[in-house]
Amino acid sequence: MGQETNKEMDLLLQRLSRSASDSSNDGNHLDADELSSYAENALPGAARARYTEHLAECASCRKLVAQLASSGAVVSATETARVSEASALRKFLASLFSPMVLRYAVPALGLIVVAVIGLTVLRRNERADSVAQLTEQEQRKATSAQPEQAPSQSPSAGLSDNQQEEAPAVSAASRPERAKETQPAPPPNQSPSVSATADVNQAAAPTTTGAAQRAANEPVAPKPTPADEEKQKKVESEARRQEVQGRAESEVSKERATDAAKVEDRRSDDNFARPPAPASRSIASLHRNAIEEKDKSDADTRSVAGRRFRRERGIWIDTAYDSSRSTVNLTRGSEQYRALVADEPAIKTIAEQLDGEIIIVWKGHAYRIR
Amino acid sequence: MKSAKPEIETLLNESAARLLARASDSRSLTRESLVPRISAAVEKYLLRNDPQTPHEEISKFVDEMQADDLCLIIACERGDEGAWNDLVERFTATVRSAARSASANEDAAEDLAQSIWAELYGLRTRKDGMPASKLAYYSGRGSLAGWLRAVVAQLAVDVFRKQSRLVQAEEDTDLDRLARDAQVGEGQPVLAGVPNPEESMSNRFAQADMQQALNKVVQELPAEDRLLVKLYYFDNLRLREAGAVLGVHEATASRRLTRIQTDLRKRVTKILIDERGWTQAETERSFAEVAQHLDTDLESWVRSAS
Repeated sequence: MGQETNKEMDLLLQRLSRSASDSSNDGNHLDADELSSYAENALPGAARARYTEHLAECASCRKLVAQLASSGAVVSATETARVSEASALRKFLASLFSPMVLRYAVPALGLIVVAVIGLTVLRRNERADSVAQLTEQEQRKATSAQPEQAPSQSPSAGLSDNQQEEAPAVSAASRPERAKETQPAPPPNQSPSVSATADVNQAAAPTTTGAAQRAANEPVAPKPTPADEEKQKKVESEARRQEVQGRAESEVSKERATDAAKVEDRRSDDNFARPPAPASRSIASLHRNAIEEKDKSDADTRSVAGRRFRRERGIWIDTAYDSSRSTVNLTRGSEQYRALVADEPAIKTIAEQLDGEIIIVWKGHAYRIR
Repeated sequence: MKSAKPEIETLLNESAARLLARASDSRSLTRESLVPRISAAVEKYLLRNDPQTPHEEISKFVDEMQADDLCLIIACERGDEGAWNDLVERFTATVRSAARSASANEDAAEDLAQSIWAELYGLRTRKDGMPASKLAYYSGRGSLAGWLRAVVAQLAVDVFRKQSRLVQAEEDTDLDRLARDAQVGEGQPVLAGVPNPEESMSNRFAQADMQQALNKVVQELPAEDRLLVKLYYFDNLRLREAGAVLGVHEATASRRLTRIQTDLRKRVTKILIDERGWTQAETERSFAEVAQHLDTDLESWVRSAS
């Protein structure tokens, strides 16, 4: 019933609009300030009411206000979009907990978590095996270097024979992975500790760290003899001494470690003679990274339309730009942008060739184009 | 009453100081240079409606003004080259965009934009020696961009009026002829569904009564409601656009329009019963018949137009 009555009134009002016309206002129209202030809803109540009365009767002013109110809405659309970003985030978060996600993604996530935990446990075991291997090598070296010392129970005595036998195979198998781990170029200040460990553990050094050594010493020395303790102290003091040496010294110690590895038996050679190679590879990779960095910095500078731009924090900045300078902000595709590129086509060329945000200095003005 | 003037002056001085402090770039303006402009805006938008406007309201009014835009414009008026450069730099695109949407082609838009800058710069000179610039009319109440768009739109209307003055007489003749045709059409609607002349006659009387009553009640509507009716029915704006003029959301405009329709129907019914002696049943039936009639009328009009 309500809809029907409204439809009847709707038709009657349409008819009225065709037959009636607005009375003229004797040329007393709103001025530009009144029109724009009204369109922006920036007038006090009483003044607004006065102008509303006029607009209800004046078609020409009404047309202008409607036009201004619409264009004002377009201009403020970017602000609205900025405001609605928060709600978009909320929508995204809500979508994470949608029934579809809960039905499929959560079990999948669970499987991934289980797989990651399994992998982590497996790798931890591999590390323990390699630690066992390291301690075994240490024992061998101690025996060969100090033949007069009575053979005593080694720190690796706590490990079973089975573990000792398995260790080399596991270490050999896991070498590429560790090589990868060490690949991320140990920084120079870490080298001394690596070399110190190398001194102690012979060629095994680069594959383990001080932490790994502590891990190896702590759990696998159930009954340390006085001789072992003395040797341990010696090893530690040697390590400390080595840690304060510079990079050049570490290189020397690495070479020494490599030489020492050569006189080791076949098994230790298989397992640990190669680790210095990753170390040297990591130095080479450092060098390579430095070259790549240089190349990258070159790639971060581009010349377009006779202007040079450097990329900083994802923004292409004209090298002629001074950060203290204010910029005119524009958005690609906006009215202002189109107006600008219509006058200055070169700016369009630049904006098309450089992705993302750009700051261009053009004819004494700085433009920030998003 | 005599003490009111110094009070207002003090109030405006304080407000001007706050405005300068609020501006991110006050362009080395002084309070004294701002007070006349602020005073004019207060007079125009507040004191003209209510000379006894409370001081708090005046302070609030000034505090809501566009401080940066106003300082920029006053600095331009005072011949600050830097301010003028900033104005041109910041608003060239706005003026060009407004000119483009108000013009038929690119050349006309360019001419219009150039005219605007000439008007703003003020090629003529006032009595006090300052250039007679349109900048003097910016109050700082709305945004400068909005004001510039309004200036462009008004100038475009003026240009259009001047250009069309030559052909106005011919157009008027055409419009008169069209209006006569329309009146003839209204008086003698060609309707396929009308069964006999008597019914047609009674319908026409009913229509005329109803139309008169509706016209009357629309004129009696509050200004805000009348404006919405005019925007929606007379100017054929969409609810979103009409809402933008009224400063309300589309949904609010829609609800308001529904309420107005219901209100109008009640008032028309009351007039028909009280002044024309119709019964309630007759008005209900007539509403339905007239609406059906108009519906058919519109359909036939659309068919003939297509």
